Amino acid sequence: MSGQAGVFLDLALRWTHFAAALIWIGHNYVNVVLTPRFVPIRPADFAPGASSAELESRLRKEHGTFRYAALVTWIAGALMLWRSGHLLDAVMLHGYAAVIGTGAWIATFMVLNLFLVLWPHQKKVLGLVPAGPEERARCARITFLSSRTNTILSIPVLFFMGAATHGAALF
Amino acid sequence: MRLPHDSVAGTILTGLALTAVLFFVVRALAGAG
Repeated sequence: MSGQAGVFLDLALRWTHFAAALIWIGHNYVNVVLTPRFVPIRPADFAPGASSAELESRLRKEHGTFRYAALVTWIAGALMLWRSGHLLDAVMLHGYAAVIGTGAWIATFMVLNLFLVLWPHQKKVLGLVPAGPEERARCARITFLSSRTNTILSIPVLFFMGAATHGAALF
Repeated sequence: MRLPHDSVAGTILTGLALTAVLFFVVRALAGAG
């Protein structure tokens, strides 16, 4: 790839990485603002008629948007590291690449948390997968903790993302 | 059981504390590399 095309591709990947991360983590932060504390759900919340096909469709769209934004963020980040030749050093936490590598490892854990913990339980809470009221209430607590864990982890990830390009003197 | 996750302040402070700990760990790693 010629010099200018390569630079443009790197910039496009970085832009995509930022935009997708804003959608994903922005959604997470909105949840923190809207639901600062865990509110237990009650069986009455699942009364017949409390849900509808339209609501289910909207919820699927909303959750799908931030789930796939997380995937796009991760892929764009991995491609950036690969193209810059730092992927292996970052994964191995070697030298200054340990800075972005730490961010990448935490972010990978966040994506796995989203897909393997949050989403399977959220499907039961939302009624997309059949579950009894007690199971839905249990899953609601798990999704809250899973989501809030990603909020916590986003703080060091953003720090190490910034430090990877602007913090060389500190490391 | 209440966890740091259960309040906004607990969430932010835990994130900051984790960042501080990791900063020193990563600094040691980067220096060793």
